[in-house]
Amino acid sequence: MSFQLVHPSTPAEAVRLLSGSATGDIAVLSGGTDLLLDLDNARLAPKRVLSLRKLPWRYLRWSADSLVIGSTTPLRAVENDGEVRRRLPGLWEAIRDVGSPALRSRATLGGNLGRGSPASDLIPILLALDARVRVVGPGGVRELPVDLLLQGSRRTTLGPAELIESVTLPASAPSTYLWQRVQPVNDISQVGVATAFVPQGPHWRIALGGVQPRARRMSEAEGVLPSARPSHFEVELAAQEAARRAEFVSDKRATESYRRRLVAVLVRRAIQTTLERMSKATPSRKAKR
Amino acid sequence: MTRSDAAPKARGGVGYGMDLEAPGMLWAALVRAPVPHGRIVRMELGPARRMPGVVAVVGPDEIRTLLPKGALEAERPVFPLDEIRYRGEPIAAVAAETLEQARHAAAAVVPVVESLRTDARIEDVFPEWPSAAAAKDPRVVGHVHARHGDVEARFRSADLVHSETYHTSGVHQVALEPHACLGEARGGKFRVRTSTQTPFGLREDLASILGIFESSLVVEGTWVGGGFGGKGAAFLEPYALLLAVASRRPVKLSVTYAEEFELGRTTLPSIIRLDTAVRGGKIVGRRVRLLLDTGASLPGRDFAVGYSIGFLLGPYRTETYEIEGFAVQTNKPPFGPHRAPFAPQSVFALESHIDGLARRLGVDPIEFRLRQVWREGDRTAYDQPVGPFGLEAGLKAAARTAGAWRTRLPAGHGIGVACGFWSTSVGAGGEARLSLRPDGLVILQGEREIGNGSVVHGLAVVAERVLGLSLAAIRVDYGDTATAPFDSGVFGSRTLGALGQAVERGARSLVTILAKRVGASEIHLEIKSGQVLVVAGRRRHKLVDLLTPTERAEGGLVVEGKFYGPEREVDASRVLAGSVYPYQDFTGAVHLAEVEVDRETGHLRVVRYAAFQDVGTAVDPSAVQGQVEGGVVMGLGAALSEEMLWTPEARLANPGLLDYRLPRLRDVPPIHVELIEGFAGAGPFGAKGVGEPPIIPVPAAVANAVADATGTRVFEMPLTPERVARALKLL
Ligand SMILES: Cc1cc2nc3c(=O)[nH]c(=O)nc-3n(C[C@H](O)[C@H](O)[C@H](O)COP(=O)(O)OP(=O)(O)OC[C@H]3O[C@@H](n4cnc5c(N)ncnc54)[C@H](O)[C@@H]3O)c2cc1C
Repeated sequence: MSFQLVHPSTPAEAVRLLSGSATGDIAVLSGGTDLLLDLDNARLAPKRVLSLRKLPWRYLRWSADSLVIGSTTPLRAVENDGEVRRRLPGLWEAIRDVGSPALRSRATLGGNLGRGSPASDLIPILLALDARVRVVGPGGVRELPVDLLLQGSRRTTLGPAELIESVTLPASAPSTYLWQRVQPVNDISQVGVATAFVPQGPHWRIALGGVQPRARRMSEAEGVLPSARPSHFEVELAAQEAARRAEFVSDKRATESYRRRLVAVLVRRAIQTTLERMSKATPSRKAKR
Repeated sequence: MTRSDAAPKARGGVGYGMDLEAPGMLWAALVRAPVPHGRIVRMELGPARRMPGVVAVVGPDEIRTLLPKGALEAERPVFPLDEIRYRGEPIAAVAAETLEQARHAAAAVVPVVESLRTDARIEDVFPEWPSAAAAKDPRVVGHVHARHGDVEARFRSADLVHSETYHTSGVHQVALEPHACLGEARGGKFRVRTSTQTPFGLREDLASILGIFESSLVVEGTWVGGGFGGKGAAFLEPYALLLAVASRRPVKLSVTYAEEFELGRTTLPSIIRLDTAVRGGKIVGRRVRLLLDTGASLPGRDFAVGYSIGFLLGPYRTETYEIEGFAVQTNKPPFGPHRAPFAPQSVFALESHIDGLARRLGVDPIEFRLRQVWREGDRTAYDQPVGPFGLEAGLKAAARTAGAWRTRLPAGHGIGVACGFWSTSVGAGGEARLSLRPDGLVILQGEREIGNGSVVHGLAVVAERVLGLSLAAIRVDYGDTATAPFDSGVFGSRTLGALGQAVERGARSLVTILAKRVGASEIHLEIKSGQVLVVAGRRRHKLVDLLTPTERAEGGLVVEGKFYGPEREVDASRVLAGSVYPYQDFTGAVHLAEVEVDRETGHLRVVRYAAFQDVGTAVDPSAVQGQVEGGVVMGLGAALSEEMLWTPEARLANPGLLDYRLPRLRDVPPIHVELIEGFAGAGPFGAKGVGEPPIIPVPAAVANAVADATGTRVFEMPLTPERVARALKLL
């Protein structure tokens, strides 16, 4: 394996370099926790690797109503931000259980989205929080909801010369992320469940990971939860609905029927935890598993 | 305790197999079979030979010309001569100037193969439980049948017969360091440096595989980055040596971690049927039936069945029994030893079964075991007298701890107990050369430290105890098979037990010789200002003054310590086919696990753990504690998550540490260790081997805790969340 490593220092230069290369000849490197495996297994054999390390995209920017996270910000930096933990507990839960501390010191939000894995632990909570993605490319800058960034399993709608610059989230939202894995550390989730409550519009968001072909919102299940204070019955109904509507596969990590079972249990627990968080001034430290 | 290897290891100052280098060295890579079962119709090595940097390519045809006898008579050919027997089996090997060139060239060899029917699992070979006639099936590579007493009568008159079937999975050793070696061949002389647990055993093994004389081969061990049984028999060495012959250059061969998994030589699945007859609250008859997947092993695997069966009978009085087991050949890589070979899986089945039986009888599981557990003087199933044995004491200690835990047991939690039985392999002998020099003692022997400390630390502690000399003045030295005295290897928890006794004997002869020289009946040694002193009562002599001129010239007083364990016997009349094995001593452990079960998802959390280890005598209690904790953690992996997954086409689906799940720090509960002393074993000062026993009861203890928490038994290990969920009928 041999390739040339390039380090553009401005987004414009990065886009130019990408536009000038044929797809497959160039690969984008952020934290590299996914990309290096692709190179190692020869799933990719690029001539050039474009590192995002020098781009000015490592930041968390808070404003009155939003949080913007730069795409090359290591997950560990987001995890260590006390405000994230307090205001967006679901996001914090999702991030703090990605891989291991060492992995999170390298892995980035942009890389996780760019990968678009159906097993991602971050995409469900981004979906539940109505996150918006800012993308730069040859045509300039565009912003789109996460949902429209995802296409299929490990496929995004990004053009060949486009890059994710940042992700915009609400400044706070009662939210929860629950996962099930065989092991807590360095294992891939069998399913992931994100729930969030937003003050305006249809209040409840339920999103699932570990489903096919990509992580998705479960609007049918959300529809069962009309009010801010759903009954136990409604919560259970929403959980059943999510499990019924989602598509699962059987693979070496779990069978389809087990994933369905887990979703039914975890959606119920996630909504309950979110409800508890809504009724408390400060969200509890840790979701009940 | 400070181990002499601790600081150099922490600083990266010791050399492992991966670090091996030699001037002019080539790198090797293996060409591996693309199908699990088939014939090579054609394999062109020419194109690979012409690739950049390639110096030698060897395949089945080259063996004939490269090795003196062509190694064709050898039982195990270096490369398959007719049939590929597992996916990834090495079928040719390449040596090149760089590792990358070697791997490229290996990838360029694409054999034309004709596929044959694949037996990926035991069930592919035997869809139904085989009858005795199966012993003649060519895919049965081992068969053991034994019985004692009127089993049928006991089953007929039983109050209760408890019958169950258990399934276990493939588990890998996962030593941190993958296999690596460096082979050299010059003028009919062979030398291999390798990461090995058994230099002398390996020499014998390699000589038979390559068809060369043992005297023409020297094996030198490197520091071992974890063995767990996986670094014993020949593995990569034959290929490196063959390439060294072909290239006339030193050749280094190491594998990637994926290859490490795919080449196997580890624990493979088994299916175990247990029927137990009970009368008057006691076990009166046992039937044990076993199907053991031995992968692509050749015939002659009776021992695998024989060992398993010993664990399936367990440390219990067995009045009547009938046992029959088959080793079944499949198209997986051959099985191989793995810390306490066959024991954790067999004990999972047996101890789950005993536990379920106790619950069915409404008897406390510890109380039920106490009714049948061996005591000294009992007879084993093969009529061997049981020696000093600490499991009764262990069970009583466990009962106290379990009682304390139970007083504050939260809902959804359960407590499980399991016994594990082991016998230290002191029958395998060893020798050590002790040189007492004016400034200290040097112990020269043939083993490299594999990590647990039994060599670098344990042997020194034995000498310290006998001589009174402080550890700082004792050095454990290593030699290769040409310079060091013989030893059997680091396996079977025997290192301290057997090689330790060789050191003990050597040290005792030093004491005898020196006592005579100073005319005293008792002496001990001291070190003062760098000088060894011989102390007899109030008198102190400088060692240097007691040496003969020859000894002074040779650097010190040199003695050889040898230990070859006594032969033990079983009652052969009980064995109708195959062979079973006598025990050298009687050791084991009682474990307790407390688990929390998520009744909706099947997810388990081991909340706390306790191990009561029969050690005979703890020669170094903190080292023993470390072994027990390590064994428990490794056992928790096998209990909860470690599992090799093969597809129906015998492809390993998880050849890496992402999906082959080792326990992580977050999975490890607090572990309470209690040492049971006073039941002397066959080792020095009455010590018993403690390398393997602590892993044995873990899967069973966890499974029994799940049964306690939920009333549901899981018949398969590991107890992954999904398996537990199925047992709980959640899906
Ligand atoms: C041991 C291990 C454990 C893991 N555990 C988890 C887990 O628990 N949960 C989880 O969700 N994931 C997990 N992962 C997957 C991975 O670590 C994460 O997806 C991580 O967030 C990827 O980020 P990265 O910066 O390392 O991406 P990279 O490897 O650098 O890139 C990933 C992909 O995204 C593209 N990309 C990167 N940045 C951008 C950008 N700004 N714009 C457009 N495309 C871009 C790259 O070209 C590449 O195709 C694990 C991986 C490993 C190896």
